[in-house]
Amino acid sequence: MTSLAAGSPGAKLAKLSARALCLGARLCDVSLELEAGQCIVLTGPNGSGKSSLLRVLLGLEKPDGGQLELDGRSYDGWSRIELASRLGWLPQRPGLAEPRTVEELVAAGRFRFRESEAVARAAAERALASLDATELVGRRTDRISGGELQRVLLATLVAQQAPLLLVDEPANHLDPEQQVAAYRALGRLWQQGHGLLVVTHELGLVRLLGDPTRVRVLGLAQGRVVLDERLDSPQLPAALARLSGVPFRSGGRPGDVSIDWEALE
Amino acid sequence: MKQSWAAFAFMGVLLVAVACSLVVGLEPAGDLRDFVFYELRVPRTVLGLLVGATLGLVGAAFQTLFQNSLATPDTVGTSAGAALGALAALVLGAQSSLFLPAATVFAFLGALLATALVSSVALSGRARLEEVLLAGVAITLAAGAISQALHAMADAPALFASAQWSLGQLPQVGYQRLLLAAGPCALGCAVLLYRARELETLALGEDWARSLGVETRRIRVEVLLASSLAVGSIVALCGPISFVGLLVPHLVRRWAEPSARSLLPLSCLAGAAYLVGCDVLARHLIGGRELPVGVLTAALGAPALFFLVLRPRPRADGQKPPVLR
Repeated sequence: MTSLAAGSPGAKLAKLSARALCLGARLCDVSLELEAGQCIVLTGPNGSGKSSLLRVLLGLEKPDGGQLELDGRSYDGWSRIELASRLGWLPQRPGLAEPRTVEELVAAGRFRFRESEAVARAAAERALASLDATELVGRRTDRISGGELQRVLLATLVAQQAPLLLVDEPANHLDPEQQVAAYRALGRLWQQGHGLLVVTHELGLVRLLGDPTRVRVLGLAQGRVVLDERLDSPQLPAALARLSGVPFRSGGRPGDVSIDWEALE
Repeated sequence: MKQSWAAFAFMGVLLVAVACSLVVGLEPAGDLRDFVFYELRVPRTVLGLLVGATLGLVGAAFQTLFQNSLATPDTVGTSAGAALGALAALVLGAQSSLFLPAATVFAFLGALLATALVSSVALSGRARLEEVLLAGVAITLAAGAISQALHAMADAPALFASAQWSLGQLPQVGYQRLLLAAGPCALGCAVLLYRARELETLALGEDWARSLGVETRRIRVEVLLASSLAVGSIVALCGPISFVGLLVPHLVRRWAEPSARSLLPLSCLAGAAYLVGCDVLARHLIGGRELPVGVLTAALGAPALFFLVLRPRPRADGQKPPVLR
C-alpha cells in the first residue's frame, strides 16, 4: 500500500510548526513541530489541553497567540481544501447522524480531491483493503461493531492521503485485539512516511507503532508542555509518574512503559 | 439496492399522480376540454411538481445542514418569514415596480430576513444546533404574532384574501406567473443539488467536515440563501403548505435507506409525488368542492409520520429499542 505515492509530489515535505501557542487558559506557550516521517505521542491528564491543541493544529480553532505554520506558510493563507491535503484527522467518537454505507463514509475522506463518485469509491475500496476491511463494503456504519467502525475510520483517514495524521485516542472503547490492530495500522502508516501525532492515555500500546527510539513523547499539564522524552528514554517512567501522579516503570524491552502496579499497592 | 427500488417506486407514484392530475374528470372532447387541459390542468400540475420537489428538497437539505430531524423551513423560521412578507404585501396593498409580483418580493425578503437571523445565530461560532433551532422557533412565533397584528389592521377584503391564501393551496396560475415562480425556485434547487456533496460531508459534523476540506460557513450561507429564495417564491404564490418538508425526507430515509448522496434527489422526487398526489385527492375527494392542498398534506402527513416513521424499528443487535416509561 503506497498511500503517499498517489498524493502530490511534495507531500513528503509537509511540515507543521507551532510556536508559543496560547488559547485562553487551555493552552499556554506550546511549541512543537511535526514533519512527515516523525512520530509524536501526546499524553497528559484529562483537561490538560490535549484536545484543544489538536483542534488548534487542525485549524478548527484560532489560537489567541503564537504562530502556526504549515510548510512555512501561516494557517491564515490556507483554504480548507489545502489544509485537508496536508492534515488528516482521526476523530474520537465522531457523530454519524446520517447512517451511510461503509464505502460512502470512507469516500468522504476523498472530498478534497473533487473527483467523480466512481473514482472516489474505487479509492475508498483500496483504502478499506489496506486495512483488511474489504468484507465491510456494503454494510451500514450504524450496523457494525466498534472495532469495525474504527477500522473504517482509519480507512477514511488513509483515503484522504494527507501526509500528517492527527489521531485522537485511536484505541478508545476497543477490545484488546482491536486496540493492537489499530496501533499496528497506525505504525504501518508511519513506516510509509506519514507524520503521526497520536493523542492517548494508553502508553502501553505506543510501542506497537514502531521503533521506540524515534517516538517522541510529549506530556501536557494545565496547557503547558511539561514532558518531552524519547519513548526509550530511561527518564520517561519517572517523568510520566510526575505528570500523572501514578507510578510508572519500564518493562524488559525499550519503549515498554506501563503503570507500576506493585509500587501502586 | 433498496434505494434504486425506492426511486422506481417514487417515480411510479409520481407518474400515476401526474396522469391523474391531468386527465381525471376531464370532458371527453371539445374546445372546453382543450382549454381545461392546456390552460388549467397542465400549469397546475407543473406547479404541484415544482412546489413538492422544492419543499422535499429544502426539507432534506435543512435536516442535513442543521443535523437535526426537526429542522425544516417550517421550523427554522423560513416559511414563517416568507408568510409574513407575503401577508404584509397583501394587507398593506403593496405594489411592486419590479418584474415580480409584490407578494413574491416581500415573501423572499421575509424568508431571507428570518433565515439571516437564524444564520447569524448559527454563524456566531458559539451556538449549538439546538440553540439555532430555538432561534428558529422564536422567529416563527414572532412572525405569527406580527401576522395576527396585520390581520387586526386589515379591512374585510384583504382579510378574506389573506385567509384564502393562508390555507395553503395550488392557485390557478397562468404560464406567466408559473414561470415567475419557477425561475427562483429552480435556481434555489439547483444550488442545493450542486452542493449535495458538501451537504453530505457536512452531515459528518461541523469539525470533521472542515478537516476534510469543506468550507462549512460558506456552504451554510449558500444553502440558506438558496432555500430562502425557493421557499419564498413558493409561499408567496401558494401560501404556507406544511408537512411536506418535514415528512418527505423522513419517509425517504425510512423506506429507501438512501445513501447520504441520494437523500436530496430522492426527497425531491418523493416530495413532487406526494404533493401532486395530495392535490389530486384535494380536487376530487369531496364532489364539487376543492379542499386546499395544504389541509391534505398535513392531514395525511401527520398520521403518516406517526405510523410509518415513528414506529419503533428493529436494531442491528436484535435488541428492542429503548422506550420511555
